[in-house]
Amino acid sequence: MSTRESDVTERPACTTTSLSNYHWSDPPDENKWADCVHCGMCLESCPTYELTGQEQHSPRGRVHLIKSVAEGKIEVNEQFMDPVFACLDCRACTTACPADVDVGGLIEEARGQIRQAMPLTGFKKTVSQFFLHNLFPHQGRLNTVGGLLKFYQKSGMQKVVRKSGLLKVMPDHLADMEEIMPVLTKPVRQKYKNQNVIKAKGETRHEVAFLTGCVMDVMFSDINDATINVLTRNGSDVVIPKNQTCCGALHVHAGDREMGRKLAKQNIEAFNDAEKIIVNAAGCGCMMKEYAELFREEPEWHDKALEFSDKVEDVSKYLHDTGYERPQAEINTRITYHDACHLAHGQGVRQEPRNILLDIPGVEMVSMPNADRCCGSAGIYNITNPEMAGAVLESKMENVPDDVEMISMGNPGCMLQMAMGVQKYGRNQKIVHTVQLLDWAYQKEDGLRGQE
Amino acid sequence: MGLKGLKTKDKHIKNLAKIVGDRSILYHKEDLLAYDCDGFTIHKHLPKAVVFPKDTLEVSHLVKYCSDNGLPFLARGAGTGLSGGAIPINGEVVISLVKMKKLLSVDYENRRAVVEPGFVNLKLTNSISEKGYYYAPDPSSQYCCTIGGNVAENAGGAHCLKYGVTTNHILGLEVVLPNGEIIEIGNNGVPDVPGYDLLGLITGSEGTLGIVTKITVRILKNPEAKQTVLAYFDDVSDGSHAVSDIISAGIVPAALEMMDKTAIEGVEAAAFPVGHPRDIEALLLIEVDGISAGIDEQISQILDVCKNRNVREVKVAEDEAERARWWANRKTGFGAMGAISPDYLVQDGVIPRSRLPEVLNRIKQISEESGLRIANIFHAGDGNLHPLVLFDARIPGQTDLAIEAGSACLQACADVGGTITGEHGVGIEKKEEMRFVFTDEEIQAQTAIREVFNPENLLNAGKLFPSPGRCAEVKKEMKEAAL
Repeated sequence: MSTRESDVTERPACTTTSLSNYHWSDPPDENKWADCVHCGMCLESCPTYELTGQEQHSPRGRVHLIKSVAEGKIEVNEQFMDPVFACLDCRACTTACPADVDVGGLIEEARGQIRQAMPLTGFKKTVSQFFLHNLFPHQGRLNTVGGLLKFYQKSGMQKVVRKSGLLKVMPDHLADMEEIMPVLTKPVRQKYKNQNVIKAKGETRHEVAFLTGCVMDVMFSDINDATINVLTRNGSDVVIPKNQTCCGALHVHAGDREMGRKLAKQNIEAFNDAEKIIVNAAGCGCMMKEYAELFREEPEWHDKALEFSDKVEDVSKYLHDTGYERPQAEINTRITYHDACHLAHGQGVRQEPRNILLDIPGVEMVSMPNADRCCGSAGIYNITNPEMAGAVLESKMENVPDDVEMISMGNPGCMLQMAMGVQKYGRNQKIVHTVQLLDWAYQKEDGLRGQE
Repeated sequence: MGLKGLKTKDKHIKNLAKIVGDRSILYHKEDLLAYDCDGFTIHKHLPKAVVFPKDTLEVSHLVKYCSDNGLPFLARGAGTGLSGGAIPINGEVVISLVKMKKLLSVDYENRRAVVEPGFVNLKLTNSISEKGYYYAPDPSSQYCCTIGGNVAENAGGAHCLKYGVTTNHILGLEVVLPNGEIIEIGNNGVPDVPGYDLLGLITGSEGTLGIVTKITVRILKNPEAKQTVLAYFDDVSDGSHAVSDIISAGIVPAALEMMDKTAIEGVEAAAFPVGHPRDIEALLLIEVDGISAGIDEQISQILDVCKNRNVREVKVAEDEAERARWWANRKTGFGAMGAISPDYLVQDGVIPRSRLPEVLNRIKQISEESGLRIANIFHAGDGNLHPLVLFDARIPGQTDLAIEAGSACLQACADVGGTITGEHGVGIEKKEEMRFVFTDEEIQAQTAIREVFNPENLLNAGKLFPSPGRCAEVKKEMKEAAL
């Protein structure tokens, strides 16, 4: 064949820095896109491609654009920003990709460049500063729930929040469970402020450090309580390191990698003594497993980050791997499980939480078609891209089986989003965290034993 | 979603937008870049615009507009083609059919289904599997490729050995001709329409004769039983001979796939490894299906053949999960090359089965001569080779070297009486290689057929046949000019 490689521009297709339109440090990593052969196997996995049918809104399209900036074919501008920021960061493409292309990493690196090339201005800047810098990293301020309410009002989740994290639209016969269910308890970091170690019930088999999360501990402190309960019940001493902070996922998703690094360093140091770091929020766990990605240009921290990430584990996987007591009390309910993206695609944890649920006597599991399809929550995506997030949620809700009473999952962002879906589409499922259901079963068992 | 009202002075874009709506057209360079190539990445060119019609009528209006205004245009599905058929090398208006993705009807009694062109191949099987039916053609990209694209390329797949390629499963088509006229061919699935086989002509015409907007396909009843065998060989020739032996024994497997050592290295390094030993030279993946009676006997025959050919290890899939793992590993094989090479070029030659050992040797030689690694993942049963030439486009000269090596592989196929494409189409990639198998006159005869449908050659020009230069078209043009 006589034809040669032709390019969109007259420039040769090479990737020397002189051509690149990424002008800041920490640019998208050439080796990541070198893995992509443009085969298209990712297309159908991508919720934004499914909805738009447009390839710049597909994983391989985004990778192609990110590479094109490095090749000097296009600039970092509004038009480039749109597909890069419309990505849900759900990582479904990483599961689908035959070559393991790290699309998520590329997207976040590109966002970092965009935010430096085109800093936010005006109202958007104020909002972003407020949440990402002035709120999430500060536990004290976060505890001021008033601030949070405003935040969620903006996103249309007001009604959900008013029901304080958990819906009361549960079927009647489950009402007794409601009684044993703690509603809006004190954040665990306040509750155990003066306790260095929360001792295991019975013999101590392990010691774990627990990331309480920023939003999690305020909005869903009952889930944190449940997490501590199931950990201590199964032989783990639980430590809540004092200096821990927000994991930084929302910052990194938003392109604020500098703040991400700052928070990562703080957490790496805060958890320095821990052997195992237990997380009950998939988004946080996934971020913390990827800290090294933030330190490609700081070798010393890169190594520390790798060591740190090795210790991070989702609570369901930890319980599954180290063993847990099978509850004796029955919880008679039909349930379905939603795979949080950052658990299934991000950490490869799929079967463990399902097994835990199935181990609870009386629980009947109905499988949800496309269970590992994003719900549209995606960090704060539902606030920044409400139109797309709404469409993603609608298609998610279509997959929720009609005849289930609860939807279980392992991520607070998904819980809020799915609760909103239940509300919006007139469904009546209760939204629960996996460990919550396990904890209820334990509590019911203890209650029955008490009656005897 | 980035479409915030039209911001352009281009009258054609404004007029095209009037047909499909402001939110269904892309024209910014950044958006268009995502359409500058398909699964074949060696040539890239920006389209003028990308439009997303929602129905046949809109396609017809778009086509008519392009045709009336002399704008080159082409149709695109999921853009997973491997020969560049959807690359807008002339700055075409790309008519993307992905929004036409409905399953229109299923007629179980007559075993047919009607789909829109943007409907994804595997979704058809998924939609009808509950009732025990499936759609047979299964290109490896079936997770994402569209049936419209399958028709254009006459796509094959692992199971086409027994069940035939796309053309054997197409019962009717609605086509928008390059002048915008809408026609229906194939009499909706009633067999044996008198006259020329237009369905056969359109299927595999690589989008040069018209744009397919509705497709009636044959659906099949799931086979009663299915068994899958995996065989590891220390010698490529033993594996190749086993392939011929199986067919000679009178068995027609549903699939008979082969991977060589380099290919195994790729799939094992990628996302769906199954734990194949790295030191074997070749593996065969063999599937037989049909009525339950006789399956076991076929399997034992296959095992015997493998043993006679010095197989190191051979096993039958224990359950559906294991079978699915083997197939996921195989079907993601091309993309998996990304794990061991930044770029690849896949070829698609077909040879008589009996010549497998010698052609594989020749490919090995080509690899040594070019200094580029070549992996082989292919449909051994029908002699459809897929040499994957691994290269790094960032290294100056390697792209051209890869193109040359790919071309040499096709020459090797043609030399033993084979041909240059089994299922990926000619596209841009293999148009020069058409000369390996056709004379100038034969090519001219075919371009004459194209002229009947596509006289202005605005639809997907520059694909499928060699560009005029040394070929007959030029002679013809000169002759016409002289007159």
